[in-house]
Amino acid sequence: MNRIRNILFGFLIGLSLLGCGEKSKQDDEQLKSATWQEIEKKSEGKTVNFMMWQGSTAINDYINNYVVPTVKEKYDIDLQISGGQGPEIVQLVMGEKQADIDEGQVDMVWINGETFFQLRKVDGLWGSFVEKLPNSKFIDFDNPFINTDFQQPVNGMEAPWSINQFAIVYDSQKTSSPPKSIPEFEIFIKENPGTFTISNDFTGMTFLKSLMAEIGGSPNALDGNFDENKYQELSAKLWAFINESKQYFWKEGSTFPKEQSKMNQLFANGELLLTYGFREGSIEDKVLSGFYPKSTKGYAWENGTIRNTNYLGILHNAPQKAATMQVINFLLSPEAQLKKSDVDGMNSNTVLDMSELPPDWSMKFLDAKKREFGPSIRELELNAITEPAPEYMIRLYEDFRKHVIEN
Amino acid sequence: MSLRIKKANIGVLFFILIGIVPFAAAFIYALLYSFGVTGVANDGFTLKFWETVIASGSFFKSLGFSVLIALVAVVISVGGALWITLKFKEQLESRFFSFIIYLPLAIPGIVTGFFTFQLFSKGGFLARISHKLGFITEASQFPDLVNDGLAFGIILSFIALIMPFFILLFLNVYKNERVEELSILAQSLGASANQIAKKIFLPILIKKTWVLIVLYFIFLLGAYEVPLILGQESPQMLSVLIIQEIKQYDLDKISEGYVVAVLYTIIVSVTAIALFLPKRKTAYAN
Amino acid sequence: MRINWKPFVLSLAVLLILFPFVYLVFLSLASEWRFPDVWPSYLGLRNWQTVFDSETGLLQSFLSSLVISLSVAVFSTASGFLISKSVFYHPKRKTLTLLAYFPYILSPVVFAACLSFFFLKMGLFGNMTGVVVAQFIIAFPYALLFFSSFWNEKVKNYEDLVATLGGNKWQAYTKVLLPLAKGLILICFFQTFLISWFEYGLTSIIGIGKVQTLTIKVFLFIKEANYYYGALSCCLLIFPPVVLLYFNKRYVFKKLV
Repeated sequence: MNRIRNILFGFLIGLSLLGCGEKSKQDDEQLKSATWQEIEKKSEGKTVNFMMWQGSTAINDYINNYVVPTVKEKYDIDLQISGGQGPEIVQLVMGEKQADIDEGQVDMVWINGETFFQLRKVDGLWGSFVEKLPNSKFIDFDNPFINTDFQQPVNGMEAPWSINQFAIVYDSQKTSSPPKSIPEFEIFIKENPGTFTISNDFTGMTFLKSLMAEIGGSPNALDGNFDENKYQELSAKLWAFINESKQYFWKEGSTFPKEQSKMNQLFANGELLLTYGFREGSIEDKVLSGFYPKSTKGYAWENGTIRNTNYLGILHNAPQKAATMQVINFLLSPEAQLKKSDVDGMNSNTVLDMSELPPDWSMKFLDAKKREFGPSIRELELNAITEPAPEYMIRLYEDFRKHVIEN
Repeated sequence: MSLRIKKANIGVLFFILIGIVPFAAAFIYALLYSFGVTGVANDGFTLKFWETVIASGSFFKSLGFSVLIALVAVVISVGGALWITLKFKEQLESRFFSFIIYLPLAIPGIVTGFFTFQLFSKGGFLARISHKLGFITEASQFPDLVNDGLAFGIILSFIALIMPFFILLFLNVYKNERVEELSILAQSLGASANQIAKKIFLPILIKKTWVLIVLYFIFLLGAYEVPLILGQESPQMLSVLIIQEIKQYDLDKISEGYVVAVLYTIIVSVTAIALFLPKRKTAYAN
Repeated sequence: MRINWKPFVLSLAVLLILFPFVYLVFLSLASEWRFPDVWPSYLGLRNWQTVFDSETGLLQSFLSSLVISLSVAVFSTASGFLISKSVFYHPKRKTLTLLAYFPYILSPVVFAACLSFFFLKMGLFGNMTGVVVAQFIIAFPYALLFFSSFWNEKVKNYEDLVATLGGNKWQAYTKVLLPLAKGLILICFFQTFLISWFEYGLTSIIGIGKVQTLTIKVFLFIKEANYYYGALSCCLLIFPPVVLLYFNKRYVFKKLV
């Protein structure tokens, strides 16, 4: 038995010594001062791994059937998609750091503020690259919804991709006046018990943040750096409110759907009267595909719902940084952004500034088909609030489980 | 002779490399992580993750929940399979049936979970039929059968997954152990059908298969796909809980997931030792 | 006279067994099927056409699943057969068998989560080789334990007889051992193929979404709430084993116990 143990430990040590070879990072540093021509040259014929959330048919369709073939044709880049978001990306980066992997599995990631925060905490992002991209000239970096992600300055560490606002969705045929504030909401769930729920994911937590801002008294209640005392005070009230109300939730609040898509399914079946989600544009595609009824409408909470931008980042150990920049630059091109905002497709608002675009392109954006069912981002503008600091989100996740789900 | 021993040892060495080292490595890694020794977000040996997990009770809740679900599913499956074998052994011999009863083996847990959801959810096929027949007017009136507190959906899927297997197993044992002949003998000595079932059929079948029954219980204890699709958010079955804790947002708490993983591994290993170490005849263990 | 109820129970059982297959095919043909409709508003080959025409990658997943499962089945059956001989003729047979049970009964997904660090270290993360190795690690103990009953005194005597008659090792294997074990090897191959073909949790962790086997696709579609494509990928997942079962039924289970 002793011998077996010795062999075992020997092997274990051997394993952990494997793959420790150092590789020079000089190449990557040079890239930061390289011209765009040099970057383009370096990116040809490479393979870029893109890790993204794959929970929407419309988004997957845009990526798989438009972006992937186009970058292949234009730049001879093989774009490989893999599924993963927030925690998965951070875990991968952490795992690779721990194992000293210089050439990571993933080059490019689709992230939002709390992942941005965590990735910076573990030094997982490559660095400032956005101003290198030729198409970044079309972006207005003075826009606070673009230059600030969850209250953190972006500093070119991630490139804005889409801008969305959180919207509540209802069927106008079944619900004539959906709730727009906490008092209205309390009446609504008592009149319609079992027709509301909170998905235990990013979307649900974002809804909770809006509620918390309202409990705090104003759309700006959560602005600024994370404030422990404020969080303690407001979240205590929030959990008290949720726990009092959850008897009127779906399944009496005994459980919550794991994913937003499941909540949408419940809405489509008529089990829920309200659903919600980040992409106000996704209402359109769900109506057009027959998933939601034609009488579906979307709106913002009176105290405001969160508007944010989602971003594309390059990981610190991305093997193909030049080619990744090329892909991100393409995704920021007027062509790709116009296609992305197509109301019959992904239907996601552009981050490009119309006044910076060449006139023929801005005309194309203006002339594009308008949404028939979902609200436009302009309609929601009045009730937009900025994302609170990422710690709020991380704490809400933890505490929602502790104080509500397991309660 | 010495050459032969050496050759045999190479085989054993390979066995250790493939069969034992990965398991040991995984266990040691999880152990180190649970004490905060490894992990980017950790800064050294600490007992705090163990204390948190033991104190929070969610592990024990999850363990109890998993044990209960697995136990109910195994008991119903074994009971049902015994009954079917006892009553239908002749019919199941026919050409048609002997193919049909193999079919469920082609369906994995992930598909069973998906199918159960499609059938039993409030917007599912049965709810639609109930609506058509006028039993319900709203989806929400349909009983809570998936993602439910009683784990009905999970248990049903488990039964659908393992009962066919037990039927096939019992039919085989029945044939191989000559239960038929013994029964005829007992009958000619004047035993009733009931006595034959209780004194011959059940003891032989259970005795020959109990190790496998326990093994299936352990498999269900660690099942992942089915509870992932059909479970609720709390309490969760062990594998789902472990993965959720390891893949969570709060980087400082990942170690708690490894604490649960270590506890689960210890429980499973102790069970294995208890099952296989004593000198018992385990003819049907594989 | 008592009514014979057995035919009813049997018919019900047949219906219960066949229903999932029929329903999944039906669902894969459907579209725009909203509650409370009992019949979908679209029924046709549209979903299947999309799968074969466009980029959902299901066909590619089918192929990667096939390659992975075949490799896992070949490696684990071959190594299980060869290595089990030394293990089960070893004086410490009991201890070794017990050790083989540990990885065999541990939940694969938990196993993978704890192993992922080493896979990262060895560059086996997020690629097909890694998934094959990981699945091999869980299929190998199965194969090994599977052959435990084969190596008994009788087989040993046959082997000795070959030696006595002047045959070499190679002849012992090709002329005696392999023909004797043929049935078992086939079943083991089939079973380890299925272990790999049906594996989800471990694949999702070691493959980190980059290796998209069919089970990964099924889950992806469930997450999207795209149940029609989900059902379609389920069909791709369950029908190959059905076909294999049809041709191979007698091998699959007969000697399993």
